Amino acid sequence: MNILYVEDNKINAMVMDKMLSKNNSNVFIAENGSQALKVVKEKNLDLILVDINLGLNQMDGCELLERFKKLDYLENIPVFAVTAYAMPGDEQRFIKIGFDKYFSKPVNFDKLLSAISTIGVS
Amino acid sequence: MAFSLEQFGILTEKTLLFLFIMTKDGQIIESNKRCKILLPSENQEIKGRYITDFIIDEDVHIFTRTISELSEQNPIVNESFTFPLSRMGVLSLKFDFTLHNDLIYVSGVDTTEEYKEHRALVTISKLTKTGAWYFNPITKEMYWTKGCYLIKDLDPDTPMTRDLGASFYPEESRARVENYLNTLIKEKEPYEYTEKIITHKGNEKWVKVVAQPVIFRNEVVYVNGTIADVTERHNYVEKLKHNERIKHLALKGIQSGLFDYNIEQNKVFYSLDYKRMLGLPSDQEYLSKKDFRAMIHPDDLDAATKRKEDNFKNKEQHYYNHYRLRDKKGNYRYYEVHGFRIKNEKGETVRLIGNLIDVHQRKLNEKTIQENKKRLRAMVNNGMDHTILLNTKGEILMADKASVETIKQDYDRDPTSETTLFIDVIPLNFKPVFLHAFNEALKGNTMKREFERITQLGSNQWLETKYIPIFDEGTKVNSVLITFLDITEEKHAELAIRQAHIKEQELSDLKSNILSNLSHEIRTPLNGIMTISKLLQFEESPEEREKLIGYLQESQDRLLDTLTTLSNFSELESIQKNLDYALIDINYLVETSFREHRHIATTKNLDYSLVLDESIPKAIIDKNLFKTALDNIIHNAIKYTNQGSVQVKIKRSKKNIYIYVIDTGIGIDEKSFQKIFDPFVQESIGLSRKYEGTGIGLSLSKRYIEILGGKIKVKSELGKGTEFKILIPNRL
Repeated sequence: MNILYVEDNKINAMVMDKMLSKNNSNVFIAENGSQALKVVKEKNLDLILVDINLGLNQMDGCELLERFKKLDYLENIPVFAVTAYAMPGDEQRFIKIGFDKYFSKPVNFDKLLSAISTIGVS
Repeated sequence: MAFSLEQFGILTEKTLLFLFIMTKDGQIIESNKRCKILLPSENQEIKGRYITDFIIDEDVHIFTRTISELSEQNPIVNESFTFPLSRMGVLSLKFDFTLHNDLIYVSGVDTTEEYKEHRALVTISKLTKTGAWYFNPITKEMYWTKGCYLIKDLDPDTPMTRDLGASFYPEESRARVENYLNTLIKEKEPYEYTEKIITHKGNEKWVKVVAQPVIFRNEVVYVNGTIADVTERHNYVEKLKHNERIKHLALKGIQSGLFDYNIEQNKVFYSLDYKRMLGLPSDQEYLSKKDFRAMIHPDDLDAATKRKEDNFKNKEQHYYNHYRLRDKKGNYRYYEVHGFRIKNEKGETVRLIGNLIDVHQRKLNEKTIQENKKRLRAMVNNGMDHTILLNTKGEILMADKASVETIKQDYDRDPTSETTLFIDVIPLNFKPVFLHAFNEALKGNTMKREFERITQLGSNQWLETKYIPIFDEGTKVNSVLITFLDITEEKHAELAIRQAHIKEQELSDLKSNILSNLSHEIRTPLNGIMTISKLLQFEESPEEREKLIGYLQESQDRLLDTLTTLSNFSELESIQKNLDYALIDINYLVETSFREHRHIATTKNLDYSLVLDESIPKAIIDKNLFKTALDNIIHNAIKYTNQGSVQVKIKRSKKNIYIYVIDTGIGIDEKSFQKIFDPFVQESIGLSRKYEGTGIGLSLSKRYIEILGGKIKVKSELGKGTEFKILIPNRL
């Protein structure tokens, strides 16, 4: 399974890579939005994980989702929000703008992995 | 002296006296030849007739009274009587009546000339240039005394006719004048008029003519007239009219009457208008001083007398007085007297000629106006904080005391004594508001405006102004009332409530922002820590474990940083209460902070430099607060600069000390400036909250500098760098 993880925090990107790789996934890391857009063009993906806060002066995860929505070839690719924004109401607003699933940090990998496992089935 | 009948006969023929003997009831028993003149024709017999048959109507009762006064105890009386003559006009005889043996002996002296003179004087008391004239309506004979000729600049020997007399009047008034005389003959009523004449020499003069009928057997047998040259007086009255337009005699509804007070003789002549005005009988020639004084309102008498006496002492010719006079019905009305005095060589006033003007209505109007003015004044002074009445030109008609004082102080003008445009005496920022509202009020609209002004004490004052158009009887605006109400307290209360509300909102937003930011900032490293812990459980390679433990340390540091910022924030409120202000050397303080960050900058291989100000800039600040703020900014500059330089520079101007922190880092886009500094105004739940990580520190710096009375400004270009400028007021 090819998974893109958009994350500016290098440690978090690295540990996600390690966790998902263990689960037989092929993980691509993008540090920001423009890198992510390059990756989606080049790689055949099954899932995209997006951090919301991508750093100073950078397009954020929500803007990036907007860009993905305009790409036909991503039409059937699920996009999950993986973010440290975890105040009451945060989940709803990210789901509302179009993320397929929401995972707060610190990430509960049991839940994430089970969600990933359903993708292949459907 | 008594005569026998014989003696009487002889003597009587040689005398110029008119002699009669009559019974006590006036029947003539005997008369001398001179008496025949009284008969209409020579053939008639005078004997047996009654003397009252010959006397003019007016004198009949005088005769009766005179005869009745005769008695044994009072045998001699004298009295004058007038007889109409068919040819010569009138004959005036002064009779001595002597009672003797029940018969009355009468001797009369011809006093016609004196009589005529007397009538002239009676009619008009010694006006400067007068003449008497007589007209016999039956024979159409006209007689002029010398005075008449003088007035008309005509040779006194010229024979006079009615037509010639009338020819001196200009064409436009001639018919009118003729008509007066015709009416008098027909109606037997006296008349008087003032008209213009053109004299023989072509001079223009004004004459006053008074005429009275002499009535005999209910017919006008004779017209007695006087003429007076009143040019001087007329001109004076004209001048009076001209000079005192307001008191113009011709003003509608104002009644006036002329009087001529001869002080030497203590007699006053009143014109018919005058008599009519005061309800005096028209045949009353004079009014004594005593009687006149009795008409004056007792409350006004002393003041009027004093005014008169004061005026007589003056050099001015003009005479002015005022008082209330009682009319026949006992009602008092207000009158004004305007006149002029004529003086003799010694400078004593001998005559006073003038006009009595009924100013009752005007006085009442003035009184009403005065009362209304007082009411308005009361409103003006008590109702509002300021009240000003303007006319349509924008000039101040009336203003309350406080406003007058303010205008006097601020603009050195006294609106009560000089015409003052309101716009000239108001603050600059009020002018456009005023102009607009005033113009609307002139159109008839009531306007309400609020405006803020700075008082003399330097505090802000909020005024609610109302513009109220005042209409005349119609729909025309004739003035605008402007009221000012101090609503500063209400405004402050309103502002305080609003600010409290905003503050509450801000506080709530701040809390939710801080909480949200902190949560994010804690969860991010915690994600690393927790995931790494999990990975460590399964990782067997020592190299990988080493790497993971390094990452764990980094995440823990970041978590600790966040918690330190949190404690700074919680201190924010208490900080303000515990500030320790002191005079601080800025160069030294900045250098300390600069030095403390050197090692990070060196690690990143940055060109890290400091430029101090050459003078020793000092400011009164809390050094801990200032340093915390500066530390944050320098820390951020280094953090976001990966190559190039970070420069710290101190520069002093007259007023301020500036500290620049200039980096060649990633920069900030313009949209984000506000967000960087002020999480308080950020929408509580924005979709994009990129800068939270740095936002807390910088917004703290901004708050700290502001608490110290300074400012932070930022200039930045994306990808090129950022310049922070801290401004602190210079205290030395």
